Amino acid sequence: MFKKILLATSGAPSTFGAARVAFDMAKRYGAEVVVFNVMGVPTKAFSQVVNDVRTGEEIEVDDEYRAWVEEELKSTFEKQIESVEYAKIVTTTGVPSREILRAARAEDADLIVMGASSGDSSAYRKGYPGSTLQRVAKAARCPVMTVHRETASYWGGFGNIVFATDFSKQAENAFKFALNSAKELGCDLTLFHALDISGKVLDQNDIEDKLIAARARIRETYGPLMGDFKDFDIEVWEGVPYVEIVKIARERSADLIVLAHHSRELDPELASIGSTLEQVILRAGCPVVSVSKPDKV
Amino acid sequence: MPEGKFCNKTPINTEEQLKATLGDKGGKQYYEEMNQLDVDSDKLWASIQKTMKSRTKTWLEICAHCGLCAESCFLYQVNGRVPEQVPSYKIQSTLGVMVKKKGKVDNAFMQMCMETAWSKCTCCNRCGMYCPLGIDMGVMFSYLRGLLYSQGFVPWELKIGSGMHRVYRAQMDVTTEDWVETCEWMAEENEEDWPGLEIPVDKVGADIMYTCNAREPKHYPEDIAEAAILFHVAGENWTVPSEGWEQTSLSMFAGDWECCKDNVLNVYAALERLKPKRAIGTECGHAHRATVIEGPYWAGRPDGQPPVPYIHYVEWLAEALRTGKLKIDPTKRIKEPVTLQDSCNYVRNQGLKDVTREILSYIVEPGYFVEMAPNKEHNYCCGGGGGFNGIGKYREQRNVALRKKMEQILDTGCKLVIAPCHNCWDAIRDLEEEYKIGIRWSFLKPLVIGMLDVPKHLLPPEE
Ligand code: SF4
Ligand code: SF4
Ligand code: SF4
Repeated sequence: MFKKILLATSGAPSTFGAARVAFDMAKRYGAEVVVFNVMGVPTKAFSQVVNDVRTGEEIEVDDEYRAWVEEELKSTFEKQIESVEYAKIVTTTGVPSREILRAARAEDADLIVMGASSGDSSAYRKGYPGSTLQRVAKAARCPVMTVHRETASYWGGFGNIVFATDFSKQAENAFKFALNSAKELGCDLTLFHALDISGKVLDQNDIEDKLIAARARIRETYGPLMGDFKDFDIEVWEGVPYVEIVKIARERSADLIVLAHHSRELDPELASIGSTLEQVILRAGCPVVSVSKPDKV
Repeated sequence: MPEGKFCNKTPINTEEQLKATLGDKGGKQYYEEMNQLDVDSDKLWASIQKTMKSRTKTWLEICAHCGLCAESCFLYQVNGRVPEQVPSYKIQSTLGVMVKKKGKVDNAFMQMCMETAWSKCTCCNRCGMYCPLGIDMGVMFSYLRGLLYSQGFVPWELKIGSGMHRVYRAQMDVTTEDWVETCEWMAEENEEDWPGLEIPVDKVGADIMYTCNAREPKHYPEDIAEAAILFHVAGENWTVPSEGWEQTSLSMFAGDWECCKDNVLNVYAALERLKPKRAIGTECGHAHRATVIEGPYWAGRPDGQPPVPYIHYVEWLAEALRTGKLKIDPTKRIKEPVTLQDSCNYVRNQGLKDVTREILSYIVEPGYFVEMAPNKEHNYCCGGGGGFNGIGKYREQRNVALRKKMEQILDTGCKLVIAPCHNCWDAIRDLEEEYKIGIRWSFLKPLVIGMLDVPKHLLPPEE
C-alpha cells in the first residue's frame, strides 16, 4: 500500500520522529523513501538568495551549498538510509508547502510524512497565509502523516487505529485509508465521532439523543463498507472534537489517528486555532494521518 | 586585458554558461574580473552615435542645472540629500561625461556608472514629472544601462537575469513543459473547490490570453490558480499559451535590448498564433511595461501597440467588478485601514491610477481606504524597482531606499498594503523583514477570491 514515502524534513531534530516512522514503515513494506528537503525560501526578488529554512539566515544556494546540505542529510539519516532498500535525497529551494506538494506529485508518492513544523518561514507566512502543514494537508493527493513528538514514533508497528469522522465527504476518503490500513496491518479500528457541543447549551436528553443518532449514522455510513473486516468498534463522545479525539486515542492506546482535512480556511489566525487537525497533531501521542483527496487511499 | 570568464561583453546564451555564472557565488569572480575588463571605446562611441536619440541628446544639452528635480527623487531624499543623488547630477556625471568624452573612458569610470545606474536610480520616472523641461532620468538611465551592458559592466544578477531570458525565455528556469505541467497541476488541485475549473492551454480564438510572471509557476503557482478561479467565476473564455506565457523582462532592467526584443516577440507570436480578442497580464508592473508599453517599440511595431489590446490585471479586475461579472459579498469587504502601493510601471507609465482605486471601492468598506501621500502618478517607487531588489551588491543601498516607502506606509497607519505588482510586493516584504513595522501585504487576487459572492452553480455540491 505504500510504495513510495516522501519524508519532508528540514533535517532538524524536530523531524526525527517523522523520519523514524517513515523509515520503519518503509522497512516493513519495502517502500522507497524520498528524503525531501527544502533548503530555503526564495527572497529578494529574482536573486539566488534564499532564507535558510532552519536558521532563517540568508544564504546563497549554489552547488557547494547544495552538496553540503545533502551531505548533512546523509549523515543525519545514515543508519536509517542503510536500513531500507531504496532511499534517495532530493533537495530544492522554494516555498516549503508548495515544493512538498510538487515533489509528492512528481514522485507519485503514496504517503507524505512530515514533522509538525517542517520549516515555516514567518516572513513568508505573512504574505501567503497558512502553515506548511495546513497547505500540504489541504492539497495533497495522498495521505499526509504528521509526527509531532519524538515519543510518538512507534516502536512496534501499528496495532490500534482511531478513525475520527465528521461525516464530511473527505472523511469518506479518510475512512477508506483507515480501513485499508487496518486490514493491511492487522489492526483494531475504532470508528469515532466527537459530538461538538462546544459553545452550545444542550440539555442532557438532547445530548443523549444526538449521541444515539451519531452512532446510528456511523453504522449506516461505514458498516456496509467494512466487508469481512471484523475488528472494529464504534464510539461517540460529546465534547470539543480535538479533545475527545486525543482522549479516545489515549484510551485505546492508538498508534495512529486518521482524520479528514477539509478546512477551506488557510488564514492562520482563523484556521490554526480552530483547526481540529492541527490541535490533534499537537496534542496526540501518536502519528496522525490526514486525508483530503480520494486518490492513493 | 582579455575579457573574463564570467564578466565579459558577450551575453549569456547557453544553459552551460548560465549555470557556470550562477555557480560563481555572489559574483565574486565576476566582479574581480570586472576590475580587469577593458572598455572598447571605439565601439562605445560608435554605439552612442548610432543609438542616441535626439531627445536624449537634447536633454543632456538643455538641462539648466536648476536642481528642481532633486527633491523629486526618493533616493535623494533618503540618502541625506547629498548632491550625488540629484537626478541631473547622476546622469550628467555618467552618460553626460561619456558622451562628452566620445566614449574615451576607463574601467573605473564605467564601474562608477554601473553603480550609479543600478543603485542610484530605479528608472521610476518620477523626476521627469518635476523637471520644468521634462527631462526624464529614468529614460536616460535605461539608455545608459544598455551601453554599460554591451561593455560588460552590469551587476552579476542582471547578467544572469537576462541570460535566463535568453536561454529559457523566462526570468527563471521554467521550461515549456514545467509551465504546462504547472497549469494542469493547479487546475487539478483546485477543481474540487471549484468544479469545472480549467486552465486551458493553447486554445485558439479565446476572448482572453493570459500571461504571467515566471515567479508564479516557479514558486507561487497559486497565483495562476487564483487567476483561473477568477476567470472561471467571471465566466470568461480564456487561455494561456504554452509558449510566450512569460511576460517579464529582466533584460529590460539589465539593458539587454536584443533580448528584450526577442522576449516580447515571443509573447506577440503567441498572440498571433492563438488569436485571442485581447490579452491580460498578471499583477506585475514591469511585465506590463515590458510587454505593453515599451514592447511594441522593441518589436518595431509601427502603431506602437501590441498585436491585440493588452491590458494589465487591474484593468480586467475593475471591469469584471464594474460589469458584475464578479460580485463582492459586502459583508466580506476589508474592514481595516488599508493602503495601496501604486506601481510606477503602470501608474506613471500608463496612467492606471483610477482603475486600482475603483477596485478598492468595491472591496474595501467605505472609509477604510487610506491613501499614501503622495500618491497616484506622484507616488514614490517601492524602493526596489528597476532591478534593485535583486542585486546583492547593492543590498545595503536598496535597504536604505526602502525607507521612503516605509515612511509613507507608517504615515497611513495601515497594517495592510495592497501591492498589485510582483516587484513592489517583494520590496514590501523585504521592507517588513528589514524594518519590522508589523505590516501585511497582498496581491488583489487572493483578497478578491476571499470576498466573492459566488453563484450557487459554481460551488461544489453540498455534502
Ligand atoms: S529639473 Fe530638469 S533642468 Fe533642472 S536640473 Fe533637473 S533635469 Fe536639469
Ligand atoms: S527615475 Fe526615479 S530613481 Fe531615477 S533619478 Fe528619477 S526619481 Fe530618482
Ligand atoms: S517595483 Fe513597483 S514601485 Fe518599484 S519601480 Fe517597479 S513598479 Fe515602481
